[in-house]
Parts: sequence; C-alpha cells; structure tokens
Amino acid sequence: MNTIQEIWFLFRKELTLEFRQKYAISGILLYVFSTIFVVYTSTFDADPKQWNILFWIIVLFASVNTATKSFVQESGSSQLYYYSLVNPVAIIISKMLYNTLLLLVLNFLAYGVFSLVLGSPVRDFQLFFIAIFLASLGFSITFTFISAISSKADNSASLMAILGFPIVIPIVMELVKVSQNALPGSFDSAINEDIMILLAIDLLLGGAALMLFPFLWRD
Amino acid sequence: MENKLWWKLLCVPILLYVIIVGLSVPLSPGITSMSQYTAYTGQTFTVSVATYNTFHTKAKEVKARLRKDTSLFIAAQNVKVIDDNNIEVTFSIPTFLPSSKKQERFSLDVDNDFDGYGTLPGKFIIKQNNIDSIVGAKVWKNTNFGNLNKRGTNFPFRGLLFETIRNTFFHVPLWFGMLFLFLGATWNSFMYLRTQDQDRDRRAEVMTMVGLVFGLLGIVTGMLWAKATWGTYWTWKEIKLNMTAIALLIYFAYFVLRNAFDDLEKRARIAAVYNMFAFVAALILINVIPRMTDSLHPGSGGNPAFGSEDMDNTLRMVFYPAIIGWTLLGFWIATIYYRALNIEEKYLERED
Repeated sequence: MNTIQEIWFLFRKELTLEFRQKYAISGILLYVFSTIFVVYTSTFDADPKQWNILFWIIVLFASVNTATKSFVQESGSSQLYYYSLVNPVAIIISKMLYNTLLLLVLNFLAYGVFSLVLGSPVRDFQLFFIAIFLASLGFSITFTFISAISSKADNSASLMAILGFPIVIPIVMELVKVSQNALPGSFDSAINEDIMILLAIDLLLGGAALMLFPFLWRD
Repeated sequence: MENKLWWKLLCVPILLYVIIVGLSVPLSPGITSMSQYTAYTGQTFTVSVATYNTFHTKAKEVKARLRKDTSLFIAAQNVKVIDDNNIEVTFSIPTFLPSSKKQERFSLDVDNDFDGYGTLPGKFIIKQNNIDSIVGAKVWKNTNFGNLNKRGTNFPFRGLLFETIRNTFFHVPLWFGMLFLFLGATWNSFMYLRTQDQDRDRRAEVMTMVGLVFGLLGIVTGMLWAKATWGTYWTWKEIKLNMTAIALLIYFAYFVLRNAFDDLEKRARIAAVYNMFAFVAALILINVIPRMTDSLHPGSGGNPAFGSEDMDNTLRMVFYPAIIGWTLLGFWIATIYYRALNIEEKYLERED
C-alpha cells in the first residue's frame, strides 16, 4: 500500500469514527453556538472591525478545541497499532486533512450563525471564503502538530494552549488583515501578496511538521 | 572547537574594541535647531542656529549656507559666533527663486575648519511672494563658499537619535547573536534526532537558554532606545516589538515543555522536535511578518535591513565586529553553562 492509499484509508477512518461518535463535531458546535450567543447578548451592534476580530477569536478557540482531540481521542494501544501498519507521515497528513475539512465545515457554520445573529458585513465573499479556507488549513496544520507534541505529556490541554497560541499568531494576524479587506471600510490593493504570504506560512509550518513528525510518534 | 581557546580570546578584544570605539568616537557636527524655519524671497534676516558637538570658538572661520540639492546655493552674508554651540547667521534671499513652485525646501550647512561641516537636511522653507521662474532664473545667482572642510572620524549625526546611535552596537548585534544561538540550538536538536545522544540535547538546551537571554537583552536595549527616540518604552503599534516578544514566548514555551516530562529520553526527543518547529515559527515572526507592515524601525515598510541611508562606513567599522563579538560571547556563555550542567549532573550522581 503506498502512502497516498494509506492517507486515503486513514482519512476515511477518521470520518467514519466521527460519524459513529458525533462526539467532536457536536461538542464543538455547542461551543461555537454558545460563544456566539454570549457575544450576541453583550454586543448588539458591532462595526465591521469588531465583527471581524470577534469572528476570528471564536474560530481560533473552536479550532484549538477541535484539533486537541486529534491525538488524545484514541487510546495509546490503537495508535501503536496504526504506527506498526502505516507510514507515520500518512498518519499526520490524514489527520491534518481531516482537521482541515472539519474546521472548514465548522468555520462556515460559525460564519452562518454569526451572520444570522450579528449580521454579515462581508462585501467581498470570494476573499472572505479564501480567508476561511486558509484559516482552516493553517489552524489545522499548526494545531494538529502541536496536539501531537502535547499529547505526549500528561497535562496536554494546558500545554496545547501554551505551545499553540504563540505559533499561530502570525497566521491570525494575516487572516485578520486579509478578511478585513473583504469588509467595507478598508481597501488594500496589495492583498494578493498577503494571501500568498499566508499560504507560504501554512506550507512552511506544514513542511516542518511533516519532517518532524516521524521523530515524534515513537514512544 | 568549543574547547579551543582562540575564539574565546578573540571575543574579548573584539568586544573591548566595540565598547571603547563605539562609545568614544564623537558624533559628527550637527544642527539641532534654528530660531526660524521659514523666510520669504527678498528678505534679509538673521537666524540663530544651535549646533551640536561643535567648537566654533576654536575655529578660524565659521561659514554657513542654504542649499537646495546641489543646484541652488545661498551663502551667509555674516556669521556671528556666540559660543561653541550657538551662532547667528544672516542671509539675504534674492527676490525670485528659479522655480515655479510657491515654496522650496532648503538644507542648512554649517561649516568650520575645526570640526568640519554639519547639515540640517530639507528643513528650511523659502516662500515666494510672486512666482516667476523665468525672471527667477535671470535674477538668481548662486553664492557659494569653496569646498566644505573635512570631518574627522565620527559617527553620523541624526536628528532624533543623537548619541543613542551608539546603541546600534548593542541592540542590533544582540538580535543577531540570538538568531545564531537559536540556529545552533536547532542544529543540535537535529543532531539529537539523528544520534539520540543526550549530550546534543543539553547543548540545544543551553543555546536556547542563552539565546533567550540575548533576546531579552535585545528587548531591554530596544525599550531604552525607544524611550529616548519615540518617547515610550513600548508601543502596540510597532509590529517588530510585538512579534519578537511573541517569538520569545515560543522559546519560553520550550522550557515549559521540557519540564512537562520526567523521562529523559522522551523529554530530549520531544524538546528537539519542538525546538526545530519553533525556529521555523520564530523566523516567520521575526523576518517575514515585520516586512509586511509599516514599522517605526529604520528602513521600515518592506525592508527591515540596514540600507545605506541608516549606516555609514564608520558605523560599519564597529557594527560588524560587534555582531561577531556578541555572537562569540553568547556561545562562550553557552559552553560555560553546558559545563556547569554537566558538573551538576555528576555531583547529583555522586550524592545518590
């Protein structure tokens, strides 16, 4: 079985597990809805800039919670079983792909609920959806790898935040900048450059994660 | 290599050179302020000029002129020396400028044979009452004084920076040293993953620790510099400050991560993986993101490196050795810390 097939099988395994348990997705959805409700009850009238920041903060925390589950969800023995069967690179890639998909669904849902309760100031939908896609990719790459590191320690949840947030800040900053451009009130003609930078950061961190993961999994 | 003496011995004279030369070479003469910054055509006026680091009373002759680029010159009619740092200059402006603009910006040069010349670039504005560039070209006559006197060896005078320009030899090389130390830590982490040698892990740990200290010193020197020039220790609008602070947080997390494991082999392996990942993330934070936004730092808005505008050859003569000196010092401290950790380990083993 070559690596691409392995990735595909593992990816389907993740999806099947998710559909059987509906544990991650329902928990996260509950989190997103309740956070947005809290925002709604305290902020009735957000201008585009605040709307943007609030949206990304909610997405950021939802992503951390989603990705934390990627390695702690399964028991150590079943993980050992996978590692003995397949290439470790296939494992991390499949988890990253699965998390990207999950976060993509989640972020679009969050955007939907958010615009339902707070209204949607988005003007340039194409740009905003590109931002959401790049956010899903970047958060998934970073947090999947960080969760692989922190799952090795006992107190993994707090370690996840300590290790993850500083690393993800450049991605968040570029995201806020790109999506700000999709809202009324600001226009930057060089925004394509920022999109390329965001993609480059995602790929750079992804490349580093892929190279380092084979050293990480063995216990 | 690390037990060799020569590079440690090299580091001492380099740093002595950096500190002594960097703190003792005087600034070039400069102009700090004028009593007025505007004048009208046809006016004859006297302006008092405050200069910095000059000795007008020791000079035989003090000269001054207004200059637009290298084309228009108005030499002073009279220069009266009040004391070493204050002169009064009388200018007589022609009735028309050879220009179709309402106003033109001029630079002020003050020159004497003792100190050499100093310049206040583009601050002085001459306004035209009537605009007639054709008559202006006829009426205008450049009045200039021969060549400028030469300056001695000195650092450039920059308004706003003044003497703090010497911080270039501390603030900037400390960041370079930090990056080299982090690079060394990444290399040792890489070697640990290949060889599983605990010794490599210790080297990575000490280099990260010293790199972190250098980074903190870089922030402290930067804060002092910011207070002197921008008027505040910390500003959230300045991207570089915040990005480097976050980069240091990433490396603080490295030590938190180390403490989360009791098993030595596991700790070393996971710390090594994180260290390499952190280096990539820190490079993005320090070298990519600040280029994207405006910054108060020199060469801002696209290029945080030192351009020819900010550096001159005298500064470079100290700046480059400073980078080498501080980096070597960093690695020297790291080797001492490394040996201290080794001794501590042996001591604890004997206790058991």
